[in-house]
Amino acid sequence: MSERRPSYDPLLLTAVLGLVGFGLVMVYSASAITAQDKLGDSFFFLKRQAVAAGLGLFGMAVAMKLGYRRMARLAYPLLVLAIIMLVAVLIPGLGTTVGGAKRWLRVPGVSIQPAEIAKVAWVIYLAYSLAKKREKVKSFSIGFVPHLGLAGVLVALCMLEPDFGSSVSLLFLMFVMLFAAGARLSYIVGMVLAAIPFAYIAIASSPYRMKRITAFLDPWANRQGSGYQVAESLMSIGSGGLSGLGLGDGRQKLFFLPEAHTDFIFAIIGEELGLLGVLFLIGLYAIVIWRGLRAALNASEAFGTYLGLGIVSLISFQAVTNMAVAMGVVPTKGLTLPFISYGGSSLIMLMGSAGLLLSISATAETGARRKAKPSRTDRPAMPSGAMEPA
Amino acid sequence: MRDLKNMQTTEAPTKWMRFRVSLLGVVFFVLLLGVFGRAWNLQVNQKVRLKGFAEDQYVRAMETPAKRGEIVDRRGVKLASSVDVDSVWVDPSMLPDTRDAAKKLGKVLGLDWKELYERFEKARRFAWIKRQVSDGEAARVKALGLPGIGYAKEPRRFYPQRELAAHVIGLVGTDSHGLDGLELSFEQELTGESVRREGFRDAKGRKLFTNGVEDTQSSNGASLTLTIDSTLQYATERALEKAVVDAKATAGMAVVLDPRTGEILSLANWPRFNPNSPKGSDGEAFRDRAVTDAFEPGSTFKAFVIASALEQKFITESTEFDCEKGRWAVGRHVVHDTHPHGLLTPRGILQVSSNIGAAKVAQKLGREKLVETYRNFGFGERFGLGLPGEGRGQIPFPKADIALATQSFGQGISATALQIAAGYAALANDGVLMKPYLVSKVIDADGLVLIDNKPTQIRRVVSAKTAKAVVAMLETVVETGGTATKARMDEYRVAGKTGTAQKVDPIARGYSDKRIASFVGMVPAEDPRAVILIVIDEPKTDVYGGLVAAPAFKEIALQMMPHVGAPKSREMPMVAEKPEKSSKPEKSAVTAGIEKLEQMDTVTEDVAAEGAVRVPDVKGLAGRAAVAQLLTAALEPHLAGSGRVVSQKPAAGSLVEKGTRITVELAGQLPASPR
Repeated sequence: MSERRPSYDPLLLTAVLGLVGFGLVMVYSASAITAQDKLGDSFFFLKRQAVAAGLGLFGMAVAMKLGYRRMARLAYPLLVLAIIMLVAVLIPGLGTTVGGAKRWLRVPGVSIQPAEIAKVAWVIYLAYSLAKKREKVKSFSIGFVPHLGLAGVLVALCMLEPDFGSSVSLLFLMFVMLFAAGARLSYIVGMVLAAIPFAYIAIASSPYRMKRITAFLDPWANRQGSGYQVAESLMSIGSGGLSGLGLGDGRQKLFFLPEAHTDFIFAIIGEELGLLGVLFLIGLYAIVIWRGLRAALNASEAFGTYLGLGIVSLISFQAVTNMAVAMGVVPTKGLTLPFISYGGSSLIMLMGSAGLLLSISATAETGARRKAKPSRTDRPAMPSGAMEPA
Repeated sequence: MRDLKNMQTTEAPTKWMRFRVSLLGVVFFVLLLGVFGRAWNLQVNQKVRLKGFAEDQYVRAMETPAKRGEIVDRRGVKLASSVDVDSVWVDPSMLPDTRDAAKKLGKVLGLDWKELYERFEKARRFAWIKRQVSDGEAARVKALGLPGIGYAKEPRRFYPQRELAAHVIGLVGTDSHGLDGLELSFEQELTGESVRREGFRDAKGRKLFTNGVEDTQSSNGASLTLTIDSTLQYATERALEKAVVDAKATAGMAVVLDPRTGEILSLANWPRFNPNSPKGSDGEAFRDRAVTDAFEPGSTFKAFVIASALEQKFITESTEFDCEKGRWAVGRHVVHDTHPHGLLTPRGILQVSSNIGAAKVAQKLGREKLVETYRNFGFGERFGLGLPGEGRGQIPFPKADIALATQSFGQGISATALQIAAGYAALANDGVLMKPYLVSKVIDADGLVLIDNKPTQIRRVVSAKTAKAVVAMLETVVETGGTATKARMDEYRVAGKTGTAQKVDPIARGYSDKRIASFVGMVPAEDPRAVILIVIDEPKTDVYGGLVAAPAFKEIALQMMPHVGAPKSREMPMVAEKPEKSSKPEKSAVTAGIEKLEQMDTVTEDVAAEGAVRVPDVKGLAGRAAVAQLLTAALEPHLAGSGRVVSQKPAAGSLVEKGTRITVELAGQLPASPR
């Protein structure tokens, strides 16, 4: 089969690469002083992030080359792999405990964050499952219960780490995709309502989550304690003003703001680049969402639509949540800023997902062309948009 | 291809699905917009506030706390100084086991470990363990060898003379800010300016990017030089204490002024407190009554009435007044004298303290003139001494005849002890009222004189002739037949006046049977070097100023006159009484310090007889040290420039009179001392 050279959405590609490049710059700016102080190498985090970006680029290229359709076959194996890793990370010796949470799987040479893999695997699985079940999605027992059951397993594993942010991400992705697939709104609303007591218990039973809530409600009152991070973050962002203090000139990263290069990198962006920098970042995300959803809508079949939507949802949920946390709008979650925050697992998985999104955009382009000129179709095996079942 | 086959079973997006996906897209955009709105709010609307918070952590903490300036007496004796004391802090994140560390530290420092543990848990990077520890405690903490422990030098205020002049000096709180006295009113000068450095610190408290050279000197606080003479202050406090205790009184005050200059040589109150450990004293002990409290002064005011009437020729020295055998009706009221008298001259009125006589003189003077007289002598106004809460007193216009009468003998008006002493100082200074002052110099850390108070004339109140005449009359008060024979001394001539005022009962709004007894005198009467006022509040044994206050006056005067080198008025047979200090068995730190000082003074006296001193060599000294040396030698330093002394005039070693101005030229920056 001689495939035409697929035309990937150039705007989407530019936005993703722009985010990754921007992220590398900001990781260096945010981490250089801490790295110099603690590790004696100001480039330490930049180097590692650059390697991850390289691997991410490779993964992205592979995903584009293979095409997203092959992912359907990988849906189950990926999900099983994610579950195995989520279990493995809980086993002492395999998982590394950092700050009281077992989130990293230590394989010689690298450490992997299974939750990041689980999120992408979950999106692929949901897209596959929903596309396969078609109209049955509307039924409670076929469309709802199995997904809920699997989500329960994944969420339970995440909560054992504990990783509240990833748990919320997984549930959010499920609701968004079920909604798009046509699940009854009453089920979704009912589930969200039913989840509230569990969420409350999860929060109230853990002092550190409770602290995060009180810190969120009044960071200034708890400035030296639980509200420290949020208060410092607010000060950073506020200090930036309209145009920022200048790249590299931020002061809050001088050990005032913990995790300046990971979860709170947005605060450094706000401080050093100001509102204009924030606007630039939000603009890049907006392009990814716009072009991503456009590709999803133009996809030639439901799997592509669901997958595209899932990936866009994953990116936008994490982006909005992370920025909202940094600005004290929602309680601290522990979610990375997509493509920007330091962290190999997250970056590689997100770039791979972006590759899939680009692959959807490419087939969407051809699909769109096919729609315009059905005679020129060179993929007879593919059902066209017109061939909807009655 | 299996996956392709799979795909064939799936369907393309339906319209309904497209709608739902688009709806989600809209939701994502709205959320992004919300994020941008929040960023706008933080970075535009709240920018100033948040930036302020941020700068607080990395700029203000960079301020090097200035060392608080010293307070010294007129001879350079330290009354208040600052010493650097270690304060121990910890970065709890560096402790391997906070609970264990808290237990160890609690044991070593005698603190509750649970409280420490809580503090460590709450703090991230910084927590005080104990502030202002002793050297021993610091060493014990060091011996524990815990990581993350830091020591910060914090200045602590120390009053080496303890209670001495405590009311004047005041005290500071734990954060070294003035709470009362000069410590409060000269807060700004003493604190100095903390230098805001061009640089930032990181969260670990390390300085980063510091620009420029460290300038440790200029930031330190200025030092105050007082007019107080500690030796005299000590004598005053001791005499006052004795008088108050002997009279079983509730309180007492004493003021010693140099009438020629207005300098306050000592200012004492009873009860008193130790500024090093103020917690043990009750609120009454902190009050600087002599400066703040206005009270009805009583008969001491008669001298002002007579001086004014003489000056304005309403009366002469030989005018006789009928003192009505001790009872004189004014309207519906009756004025009494303690003892019945017939005809009295002004001299007699003062000697026996006749109320009726004074009232009759005041009648001649008239209402307006009486009020004017008192105002001219400085009453009803503040002098602006620079101490917190200086009282001004009340000189109401005497509308009723009885008010005119009572005001002439110091009832129905009020004045502070300082005002009464200053009024008598005007009589002692040939009729010229000098502005009383307490702080002679404020010198900054570089030796630059910021404030240089000089004797200031307020006004001439009466002519020198009148003043001398009144002083001569007042000499009869201590002679046989006067009210204050206990103030008489063999060696020195004394002029003075007693006062025994009824206290106003604040509840019954009339006069109570409580008294304020006072004696104010000048010595030596022929050329007064001091005006000494003693006020005893609510004496229980005797109520008369001549009995309870005059002995304290005498005690102070006897110690002071040789100390200031006043020539004796009369040659005495060599049977001088034993110095009183040997009779006092207990020897506190203060006593010891003062006695040493007294010895030091006598040595100086020996070397430089007749008030002459040798100029010390101050070349090469820092400005502040030079000033201290010159002041100790009873010379008046005058500094020009800043840095170290390069020349002095007159030259070192030359013999000059006490109080001679020594001009000292300073040049060059002080080398930054390594810290």
